[in-house]
Amino acid sequence: MMWKEKYRIGVEHIDEQHKELFKRVFNFLQTVQSKENWEDKLEKVKETMAFMKDYVIVHFNDEEIYQEQIGYPDIETHKEVHSNFKEEVHDYVRSFEQEGFDEEKIQEFGAKLMTWLIMHVAKMDQEIGRYVKAKGGEA
Amino acid sequence: MRAEYINPFYKATKDVFQLMLDIDPQRKELKVVEDMVCSKDASVLLGVTGDLKGSLLFSFPKDMTLKMIKIMSGMEMDEIDHFASSALGEIANIIGGNAMTLLAEQEYKCDIVPPQIFVGEYKSFSMANEKVLLMSLATPIGEFDINIFLKENKNS
Repeated sequence: MMWKEKYRIGVEHIDEQHKELFKRVFNFLQTVQSKENWEDKLEKVKETMAFMKDYVIVHFNDEEIYQEQIGYPDIETHKEVHSNFKEEVHDYVRSFEQEGFDEEKIQEFGAKLMTWLIMHVAKMDQEIGRYVKAKGGEA
Repeated sequence: MRAEYINPFYKATKDVFQLMLDIDPQRKELKVVEDMVCSKDASVLLGVTGDLKGSLLFSFPKDMTLKMIKIMSGMEMDEIDHFASSALGEIANIIGGNAMTLLAEQEYKCDIVPPQIFVGEYKSFSMANEKVLLMSLATPIGEFDINIFLKENKNS
């Protein structure tokens, strides 16, 4: 389990999506790190990666729509950070497609995904919660 | 080496450890040494370019590295494999990035060069007669080192 209560920002639907993301990343890491033979787990790695690539985009879009709705002042910076990360994920996916699914490269991708997600949710996303709270909203 | 270069790295390390690991590292000792040494089992070397030029070397014991991975991922591991070493590299990279932001507030514009990771390689890097600052930090899961070597880059 990777999710921690301190990652909550206090906005229900965003917290639910974050929880789902953490769960997916955890499952992905467990698959990547399982002692099974690489050939055997490769199918599952590909499946989870395809799902996650799409889910990250859905979540970023939803979060950006929410930021627009509440008139979040830091939205442009936040969008840029999302967009840079999407680009990084895309680069990995492209390299997997072109050069094949190399085990070390997938482990590196897993580490990047985990650390980025923790840092982003524990730091940058918390600001959204603080803003909503300061405005007297639900957070 | 001036305190105003060092403090952003100390502060960034504390912030990132707090956010990612729920740990507040405490500065133990500060020493001036001749070389940068991968003193512990897993080390990350980060280059700095821009108004300041130099490098940073983070060095962690194996046991501490595996505990850090467990705190973040919830997974028990017994070896520093490519996943664990990459995660360590990412953490050092995030610390470096945050330190760059703090340095920019003091009008030093710098960039981080992507990390190089050494596992089980106790290399040392000679700084050609320049001194290196060695900072040891204590945490409840172990003690780690940060070697810092930075100079003002007059050409930039």
